[in-house]
Amino acid sequence: MRPYILPVIYFFLVLLLQTTVVNLISISNIVPDLILILLVFYTIRNNQIYGMILGFIFGFLFDIITGSLLGSSIISKTISGFTAGYFSNENKRETYLNSYAFPLIVLLCGIIDSFVYSFFSSSNLDSNFILHMVQQGIFPGIYTAAISVIVLFFMPKRSIR
Amino acid sequence: MFRFLSNIWNNYKEYFILVFLLILGLILLSSNQKSGIKKVRAIAFGTFASATSLITDVFSVAELKSDNTRLREKNAELMLQMNKLREFGIENEELKGLLKLKDTVKYPLIPAKIVSKSFSTSQNTITILGGNSDGIKPGMPVINDQGLLGIIYSTSDDFSIARTLRNRDLKLTVKDERSRIDGIMKWNGEDLVMVDVPKTFDIKPGDRILTSELSSLISVPIPIGMVMELSKMDIGIFNEVRVKPFVNFSKAENVYVIGIVESKQKNQLELNFFNRK
Repeated sequence: MRPYILPVIYFFLVLLLQTTVVNLISISNIVPDLILILLVFYTIRNNQIYGMILGFIFGFLFDIITGSLLGSSIISKTISGFTAGYFSNENKRETYLNSYAFPLIVLLCGIIDSFVYSFFSSSNLDSNFILHMVQQGIFPGIYTAAISVIVLFFMPKRSIR
Repeated sequence: MFRFLSNIWNNYKEYFILVFLLILGLILLSSNQKSGIKKVRAIAFGTFASATSLITDVFSVAELKSDNTRLREKNAELMLQMNKLREFGIENEELKGLLKLKDTVKYPLIPAKIVSKSFSTSQNTITILGGNSDGIKPGMPVINDQGLLGIIYSTSDDFSIARTLRNRDLKLTVKDERSRIDGIMKWNGEDLVMVDVPKTFDIKPGDRILTSELSSLISVPIPIGMVMELSKMDIGIFNEVRVKPFVNFSKAENVYVIGIVESKQKNQLELNFFNRK
């Protein structure tokens, strides 16, 4: 339980930003997902199972606190943690976290997260599937990845363990 | 046998855990309306909203100056409109007196402040400073000076969560102010749309859309938005009407909750009617 305490504390700080400040930079109702960036970071730093459980915890807290449909973020963040876990290779961990590979991993996870989230939280899927995929998945994913580039500059360079 | 199972677990444990967590997620997805979940949610967002309200206060102070200027302008505009309406009011009273009509009901307004917003393409919600202790209950409409923002979904003692118009789970019965045509409006993830509107119905771009008296959620006429365009479907007999909301959701800060829960009032009325039989 102990390894999850610090990320959960960070989660609350990031959620504060997500629900107050981040909305000010929304573009056509699309906002970057800072929680996903935090999740990807901790998943790469640890391992796939850790990422999935952390994704589950993050999703549960997000759904409960923001009033979203309970379960939608849980599923999307768990799958995102699972996906990010493929990049938690011990030998390449430092490379992934300190290079531009990080935004690309965030982009992949962001697309999957947004798409799965919208799939479960939408009551109808009568629109074009490809269009739906682009609007609900790729755009938020790109925006989150773009913000993760900024996060990359503030990331500790040597203290990854 | 044990070795075999142990091997399978070691090789595929990530997948087993993933499936287990997803099943748990799906179970929670189906238990959204349970009272236990609602209680946990009320405690969680009530506690968290106390923290977000502090941050929101800081931003509000920074924006006070620009808000002041905007409100002064608005005040002047409203003063002119009020004069006009006062004249109409007097005329209306006289006409009602002549017709012996009863006046419309006055609705209590509960002022509240938005402390956090959760934006996503399909599940927009806002958390407001005001809850059970202020008389706010689930089902009450949330408005500001521009129009309808949404409906209260969950409450704690001091805070409430409202689903905004940009939430797929919120569907409203609305009407065209000019032609009085009713329709169902919902958020499709991109736009507010009135769906399944017959092509023969008289709805034009520029028409104002209000909540309809037919609505079981909000039967007070509250402005929602303006018709932007009618998507001409080549096939079928229905149009989809795109509506631009009057409310700017990202800039909204101060709101009012109308102190009515429409469906309960209607239910009570229907129950009284039933009891008389």
